[in-house]
Amino acid sequence: MNDKITNWTASDDAMVENAIRRGATRRELLTMLLAGGAALSAGGLVLGRATNAVAATPKSGGNLRAAGWSSSTADTLDPAKASLSTDYVRCCALYNRLTFLDQGGTVQMELAESIKSGDAKVWTVKLRSGVTFHDGKSLSSNDVVFSLKRHLDPAVGSKVNAIAKQITDVKALDPLTVEITLANPNADLPTILAMHHFMIVADGTTDFSKGIGTGAFKMETFEPGVKSIFSKNPNYFKAGGPHVDSFEFFAITDDNARINALLSGDIHLAASIKPRSMKLVESQPGFALSQTTSGNYTDLNIRLDLAPGDKADFVMGMKHLINRQQIQKSVLRGLAEIANDQPVPPASIYHNAELKPKAFDPEKAKFHFQKSGLLGQSIPMITSEAPTSAVEMATIVQQSGAEIGMNFDVQRVPSDGYWSNYWLKAPVHFGNINPRPTPDILFSLLYASNAPWNESQYKSEKFDKMLVEARGLLDEAKRKEIYGQMQVMISEEAGTVIPVFISNVDAISANLKGLEANPLGGMMGYAFAEYVWLDA
Amino acid sequence: MRTYVLGLIANRLGSSALTLLIVSFAVFFATAMLPGDTATILLGQAATPEAVAGLRAAMHLDEPAFLRFARWLVGLLHGDLGTSYVNNVPVADLIGTRFVNTMRLAGITTFFAVPLSLALGITAAMFRGSVYDRVVTVLTIGIISVPEFMIATSAVLLFSVYLKWLPALSFASDATSFAQVLKIYAMPVITLTFVVSAQMIRMTRAAVIDTINTPYVEAAILKGASRWRAVLLHALPNAVGPIANAIALSLSYLVGGVIIVETIFNYPGIAKLMVDGVSTRDLPLIQSCAIIFCVGYLTLITFADIVAILANPRVR
Amino acid sequence: MTTSTALSRRPSYRFSWVGMIGLSIILFWALVALLAPHIVPYPVGEIIDEDYFGPMSGKLLLGSDYLGRDMLSRIIMGARYTVGISLAAVCLACFSGAALGMAAAVIGGWFDTVLSRLLDALNSIPSKLSGLVIAAAVGSSLGVLVVMLAVIYTPGAYRFARSLAVNVNTMDYITVARTRGEGISYIVFSEILPNIIGPLLADFGIRFVFIVLLLSGLSFLGLGVQPPYADWGALVHENIGGLPFGAPAVIVPSLAIASLTISVNLLIDNLPKKIRDRSA
Repeated sequence: MNDKITNWTASDDAMVENAIRRGATRRELLTMLLAGGAALSAGGLVLGRATNAVAATPKSGGNLRAAGWSSSTADTLDPAKASLSTDYVRCCALYNRLTFLDQGGTVQMELAESIKSGDAKVWTVKLRSGVTFHDGKSLSSNDVVFSLKRHLDPAVGSKVNAIAKQITDVKALDPLTVEITLANPNADLPTILAMHHFMIVADGTTDFSKGIGTGAFKMETFEPGVKSIFSKNPNYFKAGGPHVDSFEFFAITDDNARINALLSGDIHLAASIKPRSMKLVESQPGFALSQTTSGNYTDLNIRLDLAPGDKADFVMGMKHLINRQQIQKSVLRGLAEIANDQPVPPASIYHNAELKPKAFDPEKAKFHFQKSGLLGQSIPMITSEAPTSAVEMATIVQQSGAEIGMNFDVQRVPSDGYWSNYWLKAPVHFGNINPRPTPDILFSLLYASNAPWNESQYKSEKFDKMLVEARGLLDEAKRKEIYGQMQVMISEEAGTVIPVFISNVDAISANLKGLEANPLGGMMGYAFAEYVWLDA
Repeated sequence: MRTYVLGLIANRLGSSALTLLIVSFAVFFATAMLPGDTATILLGQAATPEAVAGLRAAMHLDEPAFLRFARWLVGLLHGDLGTSYVNNVPVADLIGTRFVNTMRLAGITTFFAVPLSLALGITAAMFRGSVYDRVVTVLTIGIISVPEFMIATSAVLLFSVYLKWLPALSFASDATSFAQVLKIYAMPVITLTFVVSAQMIRMTRAAVIDTINTPYVEAAILKGASRWRAVLLHALPNAVGPIANAIALSLSYLVGGVIIVETIFNYPGIAKLMVDGVSTRDLPLIQSCAIIFCVGYLTLITFADIVAILANPRVR
Repeated sequence: MTTSTALSRRPSYRFSWVGMIGLSIILFWALVALLAPHIVPYPVGEIIDEDYFGPMSGKLLLGSDYLGRDMLSRIIMGARYTVGISLAAVCLACFSGAALGMAAAVIGGWFDTVLSRLLDALNSIPSKLSGLVIAAAVGSSLGVLVVMLAVIYTPGAYRFARSLAVNVNTMDYITVARTRGEGISYIVFSEILPNIIGPLLADFGIRFVFIVLLLSGLSFLGLGVQPPYADWGALVHENIGGLPFGAPAVIVPSLAIASLTISVNLLIDNLPKKIRDRSA
């Protein structure tokens, strides 16, 4: 990222990366680049950058130190409760999932050898043999049954309880075979099982402080809110195992402090830096930025069941008032892709590319506000530091509004308690949604009539029917078509204004190699420790 | 004299118990006013009503808050700080090493900051109105008027990023030799010295000037005592009360107020721990931290009062 | 007073030039704060510069901030918040603290004990944590902010005033006044206050600095003035990423804070002797 290309922004980088992920050939890519006005030599550079991870040979050894951005006494080693990036990183080091997603978003087997189903309702999972936990116990089907069933028990406090509810039964057929029965057919089960929360723990575990899993690293010390130290698992089942001997992870909440720690050589990776800090990293030799656009977004939510969102024209006005280009350019410094008010990211094979984002058009917005009778009134807008960049986005909307006589009373509330007190509740507020691997999960969590996080209280029977229909389909083309229509419905009818998909940028020291993008999030979908190596 | 001081300490112990009780109740009511509870906070975006109810039951949060508070208070009388709601670990274990870290940082900072402040304050007072006094005054105010995070970030940029002399992070547990201790603590101590010294310098200067103006110090000088002698022997003892007070207040900041320094240098102390407690509504943890801050504060000011009394018997 | 030694005693209302400088800087910022909405070159929320942390230029006199907004406009509007909130809070805190402290010293007994314990309790909770809890519980409007800062700094002012007043309270002339049958308020305001006004004013100055600082500290924790506005401390914090480049966006608000706090203290240190040292 240190090499500068004229007129070439980070979002173009992301476009190329996405194309590669979708499986575009080199020839197609070059055509795309030329159409975009980039010189041929520059095109070669970009491609080199996007594929450079493949070339080098891994080195063994060293102590990897990395810093995330949030950590507290609530840190946990229980994958079901994991909620922060810090938890995911630790869990990825200690445990494995049945499946995982590679950088192209394709499902790969991890602890499972195969997952099969004839009707998408009853699934048979064959487990890999010879896998052992850190305490020497062998992995068996009972561990999988226990790990999956935990999510259904409210007392566990699982974060994916809402998704796990479709699992009606899990039983062990033999020591290495598990049968999962769903309430309704769902062709996405293998992808769902790749989510971080569905990691496999040993049968009967109640005390998670030891972090006994099958993963690439063993827990050495774990101090919640302070740091964790891991050592290489010599009996790891994957060939090659982790490259580094030990791994230390902690969080530095202050953005500048995190970058300074990287620049001073204290750490190898500073996760998720703010766009405003990019200049500094780029100005220093020996450091690089690793960008992932994976479907994370901050959205402006207008509840359709409360004033002012109960007037459809107000919502339409907001969709034209939000200056997507300016948010992409000024707030996120190009580290974003323009979005079209629906949650399926461009990198997804189900993304509806026909659906164009609404243009920034203050006059049109004014027309709609006038029609709704709200022009000139003061509309409270709740924002906070909790959803990424929401304060800056609110400021931009406020400013655009001021120019056409629409007043927004921006109220910044503490991030402490934001999710339980304002999110989903206030009539006009900001939310932030983490990447989810499938449209089905996104739609059922966020837009179905009974969705637990229906941010704008969008209710449509037609939408609900289409959701259930697509879920059971094993015919990909048909599915893609239905999902495409659903994206149009959300974009036109729901009250969620999704201006851009936000890229995650990790700053790394040049001797950290092997880091690739992953659709589940930054730091290689939080699982980087297992794959990266330190070049002396 | 001695019996008087002993009596005062006994009296203070009694009133301290009252203060602690007030703090405890105040913290309880303040926490109760906070929206949300541990279960909703932990579940965050996943807080559906039934998930919250389930987790609440599992964590025994379904009984009335006041009952839980009363139980914690009774436990405290037996020396038990209770168990954290969030991760079911005894609060004493959570606080243990972090408390030691906090005290160590506070101790080292005190060691440098107090003598420095006294020296600067007293000399500035003696040469009141001189260029030296002006420079000290403007510099102290100038330095503390720079926000803490700015001092800390500048120090990191200079010493860690550009010069690469010192680490940008201060992991207390990494210290194995004296040289390492110096390296690890250098930056937080520099930052905190800037932060706490100014008030001590200002107050020392003001208090000494005040006593220099009293008739008997003037008389001493008229009688031919040197300026140094007059200030150190006659003025200073009378200024000890306010100075001790200013020092106590500044030092109490080091116990609980160093949240920014802890955050920037990633130093695991108890201020950050209490912020965690507040953000997860972890009542036993919040209460225990508050009690520690309060005890620290009371110890310091009682000590300051005793010093003031010993120095100025008239206060009796 | 410029060259006088500690011993000289010539009461006069003459102002030293240092005090004048302090006063004029304060007046300058007060004027900026009052006229702010009329003199800002651009709306505070508007993004003008394509670049961020831009340098000083003819178009943007103090460069641009991390979003590309005009820094000069932001500092001018910020003056309102920093000067206004801090002054209001420090006056409230010091007045109530000093009044209570002197009263406690003069009245003594139970009144003193209970008040001291209550304020001790309040003082023992670190200020940023109190700020965090209050803001989380009741939100952070301007009014809340002022009252919160005042409440946080009252116990300190109280302790300081009380310790000074206790010293004076043992003086013979107070005993005389008491035996004369003077009321509490007379003793407090006519006998004690004039004798401790010097240190109290110094305390006022330093407390003002602390309030300005706490306000910026709160911005570090994500609390404080509502966007698009920001006080100077918040401006420093949101632009601190520009520090390695020496961006005016982070340097200028720091200088603004320093100029204000230093002038307040210079003014207090150099007040005419008549006001400062009435005891002398």
